[in-house]
Amino acid sequence: MIGQIEDVIIQTFCRLIIPFMQVFALYVIAHGHHSPGGGFQGGCILGASFILLCVAYDIGEAKGRMSEKLNVMLCSLGVIIFGGIGVVCLILGANYLDYGILHKLLRVDVPQARSLGILGIEIGVGFAVMAAMISIFLNLASRGEHEEAIEWE
Amino acid sequence: MEVTVLVQATDKAFEILEKARNEARELLYSSAKLTSETKSLAERRQARAFLSGAQQSKLALRNFTIAFFVLFAFWILLSARFDYFHLTLGIICSMLVAYMSHDLLFSNIRLGDVRIKARRFFAAAPWFLGQIFSANLHVAYLALSPKMPVDPQIIRFKTKLESDISWVALANSITLTPGTITVDIREGEFFVHALDRKVAYELSTGQMEDKIAHVLMEADHVYIQDVLDVSRIFGALK
Repeated sequence: MIGQIEDVIIQTFCRLIIPFMQVFALYVIAHGHHSPGGGFQGGCILGASFILLCVAYDIGEAKGRMSEKLNVMLCSLGVIIFGGIGVVCLILGANYLDYGILHKLLRVDVPQARSLGILGIEIGVGFAVMAAMISIFLNLASRGEHEEAIEWE
Repeated sequence: MEVTVLVQATDKAFEILEKARNEARELLYSSAKLTSETKSLAERRQARAFLSGAQQSKLALRNFTIAFFVLFAFWILLSARFDYFHLTLGIICSMLVAYMSHDLLFSNIRLGDVRIKARRFFAAAPWFLGQIFSANLHVAYLALSPKMPVDPQIIRFKTKLESDISWVALANSITLTPGTITVDIREGEFFVHALDRKVAYELSTGQMEDKIAHVLMEADHVYIQDVLDVSRIFGALK
């Protein structure tokens, strides 16, 4: 399985490149409404940085940074952010995901409210996509064997 | 007669009693001293552990700060928007990433002046470029000559470099030079594929290794962990 071959070159480059990869991913998420990119792309890069960690070191190293429980929680949190912003627009009297109405809540003018709404949506999408990517990879790589049970009490 | 014997016996008994009492008192004193000594030793050890823990956390804080500034500089390079909103976003994102992975960026770091390293790097860069240029010419000669006198071989050598960064720098310098490719590094032993005998010979002189050791201050290196150990020993001596 993964983690049996240790290559100094790959490990060193990965550990140097992963922080910059994560900053780039967050940049792609945060500038999605100005430039190409957005939540999905940034989330993919963010998930890929953790997958790179899994591939270069081992799965335990990545699980130490992002436990499966936290991963599932982030996945749900992303969906909640996305749906929540849409429902807030609905409650304020506009259509679902019609961000313009958020100017009542945020006390800014309509275009800026739209911009902030899109940013919020993209953060939600980014979280959800990152967590989904990581959990897909972990499930495939560990053949569905979860060492750490996910329990809700 | 009997009375004197009795008196002597009583005297002796008292003597023995006195001696036993003294011994018992000494034993008590020494045990008390011993417990106090072990207690003070334990206290000292605890203080030392606390001190080294403080040093470690100080180191982590320092690494976090440096990582934050490096990542924030990278953010500004990417973003190039200088309004408050995007700068705040950048600060939040850089702090998040620095918190998540500063130990990745700075594991096994060594002390050494960055300015000296940069100066040595720029001083050594022309030599590397010249090496790459001449190796290019050599490989072009090998490829273009009608007989194609290649003699591919894998050579192995043990490096004297110590840190993973130096290993990777050497491996990539070797790979960057045409005609040689680093296949693997196993515990400080390099496996290099060379295109012919001349290239392999040039590699085995170890000139590139020396240059890398010079640039990365490998010879006059001090690890941070070494400094921590030395400070611990120094504190114990004091």
